[in-house]
Amino acid sequence: MHTSFRNLTGKERAAFIGKYLFMGLCSLVALFPIVWVIMSSFKTNAEILSNGISLPSSLSPDGYIAALTISPILKYFGNSVIITVITTILNVLFLAMAAYVFARCRFRGRNLLYFILSLSLVVPTTALLQPVYSVVNTLGLYDTKMGLVLVYTAINMPMSLLILRGTFQSIPRALEEAAYLDGAGFLRTFFQIMMPCAKGGLTSAAVLTFLNSWNEFTFALMLTNGQEARTLPLSLSYFTAQFSFNYTAMFAAVTIAVIPSIIVFAIFQEQVVSSLTAGSVKG
Amino acid sequence: MKKRLFAFALLAAMLVGLLSGCGAKKAETPAAEDGVVVINYPTFQCGVNTAAPVVDQLISEFNETYAGKYQIVKEDVPGDANYVDKIKVQLGTGDLPPVIYGAGYNLLDLVIAKDLAVDLTPYVEADPEWKALYSDASLATNSRDGKIYASSVEGSQVGYFYNKELFAQAGIEAPATTWDELFQQCETLKAAGITPMALDTADSAWITQLWWGAMVATASEDGLAFMQTMNPRDYNTPELISTAEKIQKMLQEYTTLDAIGGKYENAANNFLSGQAAMIANGPWMIGDFSDTTKTTADFAEKVGVAIYPDGFVYDAPIQGYIVTKQDDPKLEEAAIEMVKFFTSAHAQQLGLEMQGMVPASPSVEITDYAKEQYPLLAEFLDKASEATVSTDNMQATMFSNLLDVISQELPRLYSGELDAAGFCQAMTDAAAKN
Repeated sequence: MHTSFRNLTGKERAAFIGKYLFMGLCSLVALFPIVWVIMSSFKTNAEILSNGISLPSSLSPDGYIAALTISPILKYFGNSVIITVITTILNVLFLAMAAYVFARCRFRGRNLLYFILSLSLVVPTTALLQPVYSVVNTLGLYDTKMGLVLVYTAINMPMSLLILRGTFQSIPRALEEAAYLDGAGFLRTFFQIMMPCAKGGLTSAAVLTFLNSWNEFTFALMLTNGQEARTLPLSLSYFTAQFSFNYTAMFAAVTIAVIPSIIVFAIFQEQVVSSLTAGSVKG
Repeated sequence: MKKRLFAFALLAAMLVGLLSGCGAKKAETPAAEDGVVVINYPTFQCGVNTAAPVVDQLISEFNETYAGKYQIVKEDVPGDANYVDKIKVQLGTGDLPPVIYGAGYNLLDLVIAKDLAVDLTPYVEADPEWKALYSDASLATNSRDGKIYASSVEGSQVGYFYNKELFAQAGIEAPATTWDELFQQCETLKAAGITPMALDTADSAWITQLWWGAMVATASEDGLAFMQTMNPRDYNTPELISTAEKIQKMLQEYTTLDAIGGKYENAANNFLSGQAAMIANGPWMIGDFSDTTKTTADFAEKVGVAIYPDGFVYDAPIQGYIVTKQDDPKLEEAAIEMVKFFTSAHAQQLGLEMQGMVPASPSVEITDYAKEQYPLLAEFLDKASEATVSTDNMQATMFSNLLDVISQELPRLYSGELDAAGFCQAMTDAAAKN
């Protein structure tokens, strides 16, 4: 029911204005970094370093031309999409299976195994660098997308396992029992009954895995040496060296990198948000 | 049910296909099939790095010269720190690329510590042309225990640049010849409303440590000896403490506020935008003076160059290319050929003419073309030749963990949380961890 602003009492008007001011502030905080990056991509290096929040003096595309010339950003973008999508699918698929077993099945050493798998959550990346480098090299997966996919799937394992086990535990057992009574087998119960019920947890795990893999830098640097498997975060290092820099091109590259993600999120935001909220009320 | 099973099977097949595609080994290069030795060469000299065009040109010339025998495949490792990190990980696994560029990061000692560096002495001794390019300074930089382990292409001659217009505004006629005069000039500039110096503290505080090292080297003979020591451990000496006091004064009184926590870029911008009158840096910065995305079109005309007071200039070859031990002797031979080519008189001259890089060897001629292209460089080299004291810079000789420590402690020195003695103690404590 719409109520005109004029019909509101003084207290209600204050609350109304306060609400919109707060929402405006939140929007500003969320949008400012993106607007700042896009604005900086049109400024010269001197303008960026002298006055970070000033408007660009012109809308020259030079930064974008330089970004595409200096680094193979489009190639890296394509690699990032392939690696991140496969990592996310594998991570969610396999860890959903593992999490379901941890949540429902009783077997000797279950807690110990779960504890060991979760322990890797607290191992710092730098401690993993050398062993992972050696293993990937030995497997002949150095400088391949597959090498990165495996590493990212493994790195994101503990977090996804944590989320998905909690999700499966929160689903009532009665649903499975009803499925078994109706003649469904273990696989059918898992894929057709439990997976749809765990949509919220699956989405959360997928979003986290996607973001972690999309932004990952260190392993992408260490485990690749050519252009065929390198990912987007590496391309941003092309624009600064110890004694030289091109911030205009760097911000143009950042813009090229983030705009597609923003567009994709804008298109699918309803699905993402609804699946997240659906998960939050289930169980 | 059958339909679903079929769909599931298709999905599984697609996934397997996708994964096998991702993991597929790249096709062997035709060169490798023809028995050509391929040298995979990782380098940070790519992207916006000023030496990138020179390296690309050298690779192209090498591949042409050794066509059918050797081939260099360049691997971009953008970002100096990323390169060092990657080499350190590879050092840990013993899986180093055939050629490493030591640069200013003292990678040589790390490689030698793992016994992975090839002794180049017999190869240098056998080639009079190559041997002639090694000056005493170059031998000192690239040798350990009398054995040559690396070969330099570039020299690091560093003085400071000043803004002639700002100097004139403050009534200063010429760069200072003594440290007292330099500090007097800082006072004069400050009184005229001009920030005297562009400094930094982040990323190992390159610019600030150049001023510190110059003061240490000219403070006394002990100071000079300290600067000439590789990996010094004791920073608790009278000359280091007294000069750290002067650095504290510079940070507190003679620089911009963004110097504290600021990186090289911030300091460079302060000088390039005319906000600071002096900046210590090497000739590689000369190109920036005429880059209109960084400064005004006429800025290059306003810049003068000088050596430090008391006749000091940083003058030392930059640690050069290192050949690492490989299982395949042919690859090792190819790597040695590559290093010889990359540090030849021709390569040093190419760097000079293309990017104004100072040659590592004094025997390499500074051509008229280079002088015309880089008049400020020619002026600097003339002045540098008159210097009476010279040594390498602090960053090149200090333990690598101190590069972070200096960045952490300088802001505390600025704020007064640490006094000069405390700052030097922190450096000594960090050096003791090695």
